[in-house]
Amino acid sequence: MSKPTSPPPSPENDDLLAAEFVLGLLEGDDWRAARDRAATDGAFAARVQAWEERLAPLNAEFDEAPAPDMLPQIETLLFGKPRRRSSLREWFLGLAVGTVSAVVLLLAVFVTQPPVSPTPPSLVAQVVDETRGLSLSVAYFATTETLDLQLTGPTPEAGQDYELWVIDDSGTPRSLGVLTEDVKQLEAALLAGEVLAISLEPEGGSPEPVPTGPVLGTAVLEAG
Amino acid sequence: MTQDDISDLLVRLTAQDRAALRALYTRAAPKLTGILIRMLGERAEAEDALQEVFLRIWQRAATFDPDKGNGMNWICAIARNHALDRLRTRPARRGVTLAPADETLQVADPGMGAEAQTLLRAQMQEVIRCFDELPEDRAAAVRGAYLEGLSYKDLADKFDVPLNTMRTWLRRAIMSLRECLDR
Repeated sequence: MSKPTSPPPSPENDDLLAAEFVLGLLEGDDWRAARDRAATDGAFAARVQAWEERLAPLNAEFDEAPAPDMLPQIETLLFGKPRRRSSLREWFLGLAVGTVSAVVLLLAVFVTQPPVSPTPPSLVAQVVDETRGLSLSVAYFATTETLDLQLTGPTPEAGQDYELWVIDDSGTPRSLGVLTEDVKQLEAALLAGEVLAISLEPEGGSPEPVPTGPVLGTAVLEAG
Repeated sequence: MTQDDISDLLVRLTAQDRAALRALYTRAAPKLTGILIRMLGERAEAEDALQEVFLRIWQRAATFDPDKGNGMNWICAIARNHALDRLRTRPARRGVTLAPADETLQVADPGMGAEAQTLLRAQMQEVIRCFDELPEDRAAAVRGAYLEGLSYKDLADKFDVPLNTMRTWLRRAIMSLRECLDR
């Protein structure tokens, strides 16, 4: 954290911080800290929501603007590529009117199919702790419910381990496991918008079902 | 459709209803585009952001509670948050422009029923009254933050006052707004 610009924690100051966050007055570390807190601290999230409702009448001041048609891209990102029924039908139509033997054409279709490319990840996130020089790249594959991990940076001091957590919308953390450079893959079911966090824990991981050590960095899982 | 048709659509999204997503896009994309263009200042980035906002709405619809809030407010908050995310993680500072305050606050949403319009107008009057209780420059600063995504630092530059002065002004303004709005 850089120089503290927020008053010390108290219910009154928490409410002020929630208002500053909703208005968008914060920057840098203050902004990130408030955003992460809104994602992980239920009481603070409730204050944020109360301010969103208080100020919502101001939304009427945003004029509507012509919207681009992004629906096809959005649906592809959410539901995958549409099936290519129509283009297959065109192939068969081509077969029917073709003079070349159907068998030869079909063979040509199969031969010219491009090689299957590796599946792109469904979600990605990069958790960074700038002060430590620690960085974790995460690629999540929804079909296999696996996370590919790449950790770079210093190993923790003796007696300590990095632990990876996922925090859902309700703010409940769930351990995904202890992180070392040797751990390249973990299994878990994750959702976009959930927050990944790395904490510093005693060797072997947190003795509790929640992080006990400092949180070094967080990142939101987003579409890859 | 009930008075809050957006809430109904959000509830349908949780059942993986793709038709509801299309209906929500038709109904809400112009408003969300308006928010993103005003806050981000660039149409191209706003269009890119719009896509991400709809992904977030789909992914987070299950956390929307129609008993606790209004659907339109909820999706507007997602769009504003996403715009702020982008503004606060931009590498270079953008030029600060503050649009002149509208003479009157607009209440125009053609997709809304008469009853909802009346309710919204009443809420708007409330906010206008509370903003009127603030010193003029502070009311403008709060509106600049909410509508243009201006930070303490942006506002201090804009109003040519020290950062700490702006912080003190706005913290007092926030407290009197809360006191007035909750009255």
